Formats: sequence, C-alpha cells, structure tokens
Amino acid sequence: MLSRVAENLYWLGRYIVRAENTARLISVHSHLLLDLPRGMTLGWSPLIDILGANEAFVERFGGDGALSEANVVRFLITDTENRSSVAASIAAAREILRIVRDSTPRDAWEHLNATHLFLQERGERHLPRAQRQTGLDRVIDTMLMMRGILGANMSHDVGYQFMRIGMNIEQADMTTRIVDVRTVDLIQSRSSDELQPFQHIQWMSVLRSLTALQAYRRHEKIRVSGPAVLRFLLQDRGFPRSVLYGLNAVSYALPRLPAYRGSERSIDRVRALIQDANFERLLERGLHEWIDEIQIGIGAIHEALTLSYFKPGEPPPPAQGSGVQTQTMTA
Amino acid sequence: MAIDWSDYRCKGFHDELFVGPGAARPAAQHLVDYLGSLNTTELAERRLAAELAIKVMGITFTVYSEGRNVDRSWPFDIIPRTIAKTEWQRTDAGLQQRVRALNHFIQDIYGKQQIVKDGIFPAELLAESANFRKQCIGMKPRGGIWAHICGSDLVRDVDGTLYVLEDNLRVPSGVSYMVENRQVTKRVFPELFQTSTILPVDDYPAQLYDMLASMSPRLGDTPTIAVMTPGIFNSAYFEHSWLAQQMGVELVEGQDLFVGDDDCVYMRTVYGPRRVDVIYRRVDDLFLDPEVFHPDSILGVRGLMRAWLKGKVALVNAPGAGVADDKVVYAFVPKMIRYYLGEDAILPNVPSYLCMFDDDRKYVLDHLDELVVKPANESGGYGMMIGPRASKKERETFRKLITANPRNYMAQPTLSLSTAPTMTDAGDIEPRHLDLRPFILSRADSVYVTTGGLTRVAMTKGSLVVNSSQGGGAKDTWIVDLEAA
Repeated sequence: MLSRVAENLYWLGRYIVRAENTARLISVHSHLLLDLPRGMTLGWSPLIDILGANEAFVERFGGDGALSEANVVRFLITDTENRSSVAASIAAAREILRIVRDSTPRDAWEHLNATHLFLQERGERHLPRAQRQTGLDRVIDTMLMMRGILGANMSHDVGYQFMRIGMNIEQADMTTRIVDVRTVDLIQSRSSDELQPFQHIQWMSVLRSLTALQAYRRHEKIRVSGPAVLRFLLQDRGFPRSVLYGLNAVSYALPRLPAYRGSERSIDRVRALIQDANFERLLERGLHEWIDEIQIGIGAIHEALTLSYFKPGEPPPPAQGSGVQTQTMTA
Repeated sequence: MAIDWSDYRCKGFHDELFVGPGAARPAAQHLVDYLGSLNTTELAERRLAAELAIKVMGITFTVYSEGRNVDRSWPFDIIPRTIAKTEWQRTDAGLQQRVRALNHFIQDIYGKQQIVKDGIFPAELLAESANFRKQCIGMKPRGGIWAHICGSDLVRDVDGTLYVLEDNLRVPSGVSYMVENRQVTKRVFPELFQTSTILPVDDYPAQLYDMLASMSPRLGDTPTIAVMTPGIFNSAYFEHSWLAQQMGVELVEGQDLFVGDDDCVYMRTVYGPRRVDVIYRRVDDLFLDPEVFHPDSILGVRGLMRAWLKGKVALVNAPGAGVADDKVVYAFVPKMIRYYLGEDAILPNVPSYLCMFDDDRKYVLDHLDELVVKPANESGGYGMMIGPRASKKERETFRKLITANPRNYMAQPTLSLSTAPTMTDAGDIEPRHLDLRPFILSRADSVYVTTGGLTRVAMTKGSLVVNSSQGGGAKDTWIVDLEAA
C-alpha cells in the first residue's frame, strides 16, 4: 500500500463522514429553530462555530451582520470556496475516488458523482427552507450508501483500514465539536434534571444532530438530561457516533497495520481522558476546556498517523528484511 | 422496420464488412444477418444499452476543454468490425517481424550503429532525431528489448491492402479500450457470442504482466511491478489505472518513488520503502528524471536514469526507444527488416516521401494538394495537413515549414481509408472511415500480438481523423474463425 494511496483513502473516509455530519447538522438546526419559543433565537452562528469556519465566513461575507440564514446555508451547503461545506467535502471525496479508482469499487464513484453533479446543478434551488430537507436528505443518503458500498464491495485490506480509521476519527471529531458548541447555551442550567422545556428541546437536538435520540432512549430509559447525554455521546461503547466508540474502532484497526504503537499511544491518551470524565462536574465548570483537550488529542492521533504512514519523509533504503521505519516514531 | 443492407452505400472505398450493397464478406455474414433481423427500435435499444454500460462501467477518457479536464464517456459504435482469422494470422506475423526489426534497430543505434556504417540508414537522420537520447548510448536492456510495447496503426486502402501507417513506441495508449469494447459488446449482443467463433481479447493484461515480470533485474523472486502515471490530469489516466488494476500491481506517481544510495528504486509504502523491479512508465522520456532531462519536471524521479543504466530497475518502454517512433525513420523499416532479419516485409509501408531528400522534397512541394504531410515527431494527429482538404493558405504555411526544416517532414499519398457500417446520431447506418491499432508485446524470446486491436472510427461523415481527442470513436474488433464454426 503506497503512502499516498493510504492517505487518500484515509481522507476519503473523513470527507464522507464530514459531508454527512454537516448535512445532518444543518437539517437539525433548521428544525430546532422551528421548535424554539417565539422571541428566542439561536441564530445561525453556532453552525459556523462547530465547523470552525468563522474566519472563512467573515472573509467571504463580512462581519456579524452577514450571519443571515441565507448566507450561512449557502456557505455551508453549496459554497465550494468554503473548504468545510458539504459540496467541498463531496468534491474532495470525488477527486480522491478518481485518483484511487484502481482500488475502490466503480459503483462508489457512480453514486458520489451523481450527488456531486446534483449539488452543482440543483444545489442552489435546494437552499430555501421548503426544499432544503430534500437536498440534505439526498446528501445524507448518498454518504450512507457510500459507506455501504465501500464496506460491502471493497476488500477489507490495509487500504480499507485506513479509510475506516478516517471515518472514525472524523466522527469522533465531529461529535466533540457538536457537543462543544451545542452545550454552551445550556451550561447555565447545569445539574438540574428538570430542564425548562426549551432546554430539553435543545438537548434533544444535540442527540438528533448525531441521530442518537432513539439509541439514547433505549439506553437511558429516562428523560433527556445533560450529564446523561454527554455520557452517551462521549463514553458509550455501543453507539457508533460516540467518541469512545470511534477511538475504540481505530484502535481495533491499528494492529492490522505495521508499526502502529505510536498511533496507539496517542489514542490511549484520549481514551483515558474520556473514561475518567465526570460530566456532572464538567457541566458546572470546565467542559469547554476539557473538550479542547480532547480535540487536541484527536489532532495528535492524526499527526501520529501522518508520521507513521502518510509522510514518513524520505528514509534511506531499509536493512535486509526490515521495511519498518522506527525513526519516524520519535517525533 | 429493419436495416436493409442493400441500401448501404459503400461504393468507392474498401468496406470491412461488405463487398458491395447487400453482399457481406464471409467473416461478417453472421453479424450482418443478425443485425438485419433486428428492427429499428431494437437496434436503438441496444445502442442505449451500450451507452448505459459505458457509463456504469466508468469507461472514460479525459479531454482538456475550456480550461479544465473533463471526463467524457468513451464514444463507441455498437456495430463490430470483423476480420477473418486467416487474414489476421498473416498480419500477426507481419507485426512480429516488424517489431523484432525495430528492436534490433534501436539496440544497434545505441550500440555500434552498424546500420549507419553499412550505409543503409543515413547518419544525418540520427543527428537531428528529436527522440534520440545520448544518455542511452552503450546501454543494453535485458534481451536487447527497448520497445516492449508497440502500438502500430494499420490502415486499408481502396484495393484492400493493409498498410502500416506508423509505429508508436513511446507510450502508446488505447489497449484498455480494446478490452472494454469487448465487454460492452458482450453485454449488448450476448447472442452473437454463442453462435459464432469470435476470438477473445481479454488475455492482454496477463500477457503484459508476464512480459513485465520477465524484465525484472532480480529474476527468480516475484518482482515488484508498478505502472507509473503522470497523474490524474493525464488524458490516459483511466487506462493507467485500468492496467494497474487488471494486473494487480501498484499505480504510482513520480512522488511515490525515490532512488536510494544503492541506486535501487523504492516506493514509499505504509510498510516503509519497498524496492521496485519493473516500471511500466506512461511518462514521456523527458519527464522521467529531472537529474538528466527537464530539471524542473515534477512528474519524474530523481536518479531514475542512473538506476536504469546500472541495471537496478527495468523501464518499459526503455528510454530512447522513441528514436524509432519517428515518421521519417518509419520509412526505413522495410530496409531494417531486410538488413537485420534477412526477410522481406510481410506488411507494406505506406509509400513515403522524405522531405530531406531533394527529389522527394521537390515532389512533395509540387503535389501538396494531393499528399498528407506529417511532422516527424507529433502524435495524436496533431500538426499534420491533409492536402486535398487543406485551404490554399494552409498549403502555403506547410510549404514554408517544409522548406525551413525538411528533416522534420514526410508526406504520403492520401489513402482512401476503408469503411465499416456505423450508426449515426440519427440512428441511420452509414459507412465511416476507420483504422486499427494492434498492440505488440516483446520479450527476450517471444513476441505477442493482440487478437485484433483497437478499431478507431471517424464518427463524422467523410472524416479521416480517428483520434478520440478529435472526435473519433471506437468499435469492437472481431477476429472471426470461420473454420471453427
């Protein structure tokens, strides 16, 4: 497996999950606004915050006054100049599929390409509220279909492991981002399990953004409460969009790769943070800082993978029989 | 309503399927009867099925248009072109002979240059050859093979003679389409393959793999083979990727490779560096190695020529093989066959006038309105002039070009390329001009020729330009075994 191809497959996984999560996030936010009491508004800036695209947005549309629904929705769905838009993620995934067409199933390309063309040709028409859901559903469905096609029709070889690692890291990353931004407004109400109705709606929307509401209910069998939601989204071992699930999945995939100890250590560090977390206490104070730490940890996993597999520098030819680079682990 | 073959007007040309209106050639009889049994609606449905298959199978080629690269679906005509097996056997032998002589020639040119010393090949031609690489002097690749993969273009004139029009020895493309055309035809006309004996074409990737493996500098071990592509923006990227996939080898770009202190070539993998033994490179000579050729090439690998010259890696085709891929050198191939093999050429060349010779040049300049004029080193149908169709102004431009640089031009009579029935956009069946590109693989001890090749067809009425970059399409090519039926 060429390093370049491995890196491309890793990013293919990340873009597929990113496009899906972004589309769902916009969809849930659109619904949430309908449910909030008259006079209370969250505005559209949380979405830009979640995707860390504030600077890009300001550059494109100007300051706070520009944060209209139309601008934000266009910026996040069809704007290919915005690297975190749905369309940009799909275009990037499509370009990768062209590059690695020899190691990915042909039908994956067909489906992704169709949705890419759909966004290009009819994306604008699907921005207004009445049509938005149809467009976003198409994106979400295509991304889920991509996961299905790639999982079912591609050999589960080393390349596939890189793609799965990419998917899981992206999901862990997205989940922490969504939790971070969505909880900012809610922290005031902290330990109380008797939430005001609209706060209750907001916690549910956090779960909905990650299609976690149904699974959460089966699991917790109680009213939606702040600490329980955080426990579920960060610590649950069975729910595939929880952060711990994603990290565990990466660590199961690693032993199928060469020289994986460095990457494993970077995962263990984040896992320890999550397992030790007390969300009652964090909701009172320090949740945002704690999530920052998790984010930095996820970034470190990405760095470790890059150093071990994607950009190992130009090393000297190996000694007899050993193809494994150890010096890259020291960085 | 069905096709009425007696309405098919192929007068004035040699038609591949018909002797005259309504009278099919033996190899085409079965096909023609079958097509005649379909009504217009069925035929249109089959064409739609072919278009869909091409889309679904993702058979594309890339064209550069309006400032960006676009993937286009492969233009395909559903009516196959047929050739009788008996005729093909002779063609196969002729191609083998030709490529053997070409490999002798290239080895000789980079060695003792005996053919020049013996006065058969003019020294001044060599001196001005754009594809002669002085870096290759003294090199002897395994088995003396330089042009491992050759794509020769064959055309048929009005009297039915099959001529060799040119030999492509650098990075000939199109073989993936040959195989894919057959896949599409099998989907569209499965019935025909049950009732007639059409020789298969899908052996090519296995033959290619075996040939590449036989070139490994480390015989005995399972060699590591890679297809090297300039990248996704190359018009033939589909084919590069297809070949790697079919052979189960790595598809690499220059950035994936490096040459170590031991002069061996390595690819960067997730397991660390892995030595590469054979590189089927689809990158032109001059971009292979910035250390030796274009210093700013980012497509190549620094030190690759060094590794090749030291015998640490096999490059296919060998650098410098293009010296024989020159439309002026082409004219000498029949003499090479006589000189190196002591045989007469089985397949004739198209008569050629070399503008470097005074008599020939005078003839060419006097007959610009009758001849096709070609530059020595262009491919893809670029830079040429078809005299009978050129404007007066174009002819004058070429007169100046030829006078300024006679070595770079040659001319040939305008051939009346043969035709075959082809479906028009409107769904009618009309004759269209075509050629044939078989692919020839050379190993140290044997030569393999594809069964048939890629038939390229000019989709525009009357046009002689078959290149896919210029509106050409393709047909499946059937070598039909009449005796087996």
